[in-house]
Amino acid sequence: MDYTSELDRALSELKRITGVAVSVKADTPEETELALSQIRCLCAAYKEKYNKADFLKSLMTEGIPSYDVGDRAARLHIDPEEKRVLFLLEARTIDDTLTEILKNLFPSRSKTYLVPMSENRIAVLRPLKSGETADSMRQIARTIVDTLNMEALTHVQLSYSSVIDTLAELSSAFRETSLALQVGKLFYSEQTVFPYNELGIGRLIYQLPVSICERFLEEIFGKEIPEAFDDETTATINRFFQNNLNIAETSRQLHMHRNTLIYRLEQIQKRTGLDLRTFEDAMTFKIATMVINYLHTERNQ
Amino acid sequence: MASLSLQGIQKIYPNGFHAVKDFNLEIEDKEFIIFVGPSGCGKSTTLRMVAGLEDISGGTLKIDGKVMNDVEPKDRDIAMVFQNYALYPHMTVYDNMAFGLKLRKVPKDEIDKKVREAARILDLEKLLDRKPKALSGGQRQRVAMGRAIVRNPKVFLMDEPLSNLDAKLRVQMRIEISKLHENLGATIIYVTHDQTEAMTLGTRIVVMKDGVVQQVDTPQNLYNTPCNLFVAGFIGSPQMNFMDAVCKVKGNDVTLTVGEHVLKVPASKRKALIDGGYDGKTVVIGIRPEDVHDSEAFISNSPDSVITSTIKVYELLGAEVFLYFDVEGTQMTARVNPRTTLRTGDKAVFALDMEKIHVFDKETELTITN
Repeated sequence: MDYTSELDRALSELKRITGVAVSVKADTPEETELALSQIRCLCAAYKEKYNKADFLKSLMTEGIPSYDVGDRAARLHIDPEEKRVLFLLEARTIDDTLTEILKNLFPSRSKTYLVPMSENRIAVLRPLKSGETADSMRQIARTIVDTLNMEALTHVQLSYSSVIDTLAELSSAFRETSLALQVGKLFYSEQTVFPYNELGIGRLIYQLPVSICERFLEEIFGKEIPEAFDDETTATINRFFQNNLNIAETSRQLHMHRNTLIYRLEQIQKRTGLDLRTFEDAMTFKIATMVINYLHTERNQ
Repeated sequence: MASLSLQGIQKIYPNGFHAVKDFNLEIEDKEFIIFVGPSGCGKSTTLRMVAGLEDISGGTLKIDGKVMNDVEPKDRDIAMVFQNYALYPHMTVYDNMAFGLKLRKVPKDEIDKKVREAARILDLEKLLDRKPKALSGGQRQRVAMGRAIVRNPKVFLMDEPLSNLDAKLRVQMRIEISKLHENLGATIIYVTHDQTEAMTLGTRIVVMKDGVVQQVDTPQNLYNTPCNLFVAGFIGSPQMNFMDAVCKVKGNDVTLTVGEHVLKVPASKRKALIDGGYDGKTVVIGIRPEDVHDSEAFISNSPDSVITSTIKVYELLGAEVFLYFDVEGTQMTARVNPRTTLRTGDKAVFALDMEKIHVFDKETELTITN
């Protein structure tokens, strides 16, 4: 391994975050390796001590032992016991414009923290103010999305966690929001805000192993799993479900004769073996189509 | 400002949800177009496709003749005002309006010129040094508009911008937006679920349902000649009354029978019913509440359109009275003069203005007589 170039990189990182230029004289590869390890530790320690975002990111992704969280938070003047909600936002790229808008939307930096998580994700850890409810969180989430749409002219999707009481719970809040964003994008892609506690059946399906999903589909459809239905059939089925399996109402809304609708439902039954007019088959069909979509996305990824 | 062309626009989400189906519309320069419809009808999705916030699954979007399907939102020369706008709490009105331009590195003197011009248009000149906390709801809304105006865009896109305001302020802001349209000479696309907002603001209205355009027309035409039952019921408040009726044709005479009431169809509407082969079929009659009359003079002049019922609810609104009653199990509303003597529990006689009735096919729900 080329420790010299690694060491140069670590030194420039140290200079970037601390402003201190350090030079290292190492005669053997062993000395270089030792110096590299020490410089890296120095960088990590500095980030942890002085950079709130890095500390919070570590807390979310790497997990810091709960006995250690309080002390380290106190060193960074972060109240470890405050009630908070975590918002996780995804855009095509988290650029300067987007970050600047978020900073100005939440100007109190001692209370609300912006934590860049990756090139296209940023987390917003916001305190819960007195009197705020779940509806307030939804409103804040929508405000973030609408403001970024208007000001940054960019498409964003956002999930938010349940209320956490202490910083030690931040890691689980991050897992919640990451899951909500994944499930939301997969099953409710027409929406932009995904509250962690409103993922419905999508949450269940998402957490199933692919092999179980495949076995489930095989059980229902046999070897020939339908890839997708045409637009008209999909629209018919969706409307039929929306109207609680009511044939008269569905045919009225679709401007078609009830016999046409019945014919279409019978065609679906021929193809799938499921009679959508009965609750049990309708439920099975609904779940199966969600599973098909899920597997389709998994395969594309 | 600009013209827009939406040709066969479709939106299908990755989960298979077909949100917008074959949307076609030509928008002229300086038009004020309203997308209206119930929640989930695809109006916001269409607007977001115009903005570039959603990918277009099919069809072509042109702004000023240039295809925009794959153009980044920031390069489309548009500005948006959405429902959940937020002003930056620590900034003054001036800075709030200037912020977007600063981010785009517009020169300071140009920013100043644009902000002051927008403030003048919106009557915010005296408030430029105030912070959002010190503003009323209406003033805040105007600042949000100001942030869009300073961009000097070709097209303004507004998605329910007044929904978070109280009823009184909404009426006030409606007038402001209407004035703004006149002053700016702007092309505006405005999304709302509120039909009153649609009727009062738009030069043309696009009524949508389940991702499908139902009718595109002027407010007056939508009200007077709705193309189907949905539009007829959606536009107008209180909404149009609907009754099932059996159509009977005898020579040149056409009648519509609702239970024991036989209504004679005027000459202007007979032909469509006769030619459409509706003899013996059940159709739906639609009549607006203001076309149901309780005055003696009207009743005596219209012996062939009389219905009787018992008043269930009397509602005085000051300048008018709403009377609620049932005809053959269907609830009806009449909008009458406040001098009416009818009260709850009274037996009442009404006459329908048959020249104003709308007749719809019961199966297809499309208009027969308009």
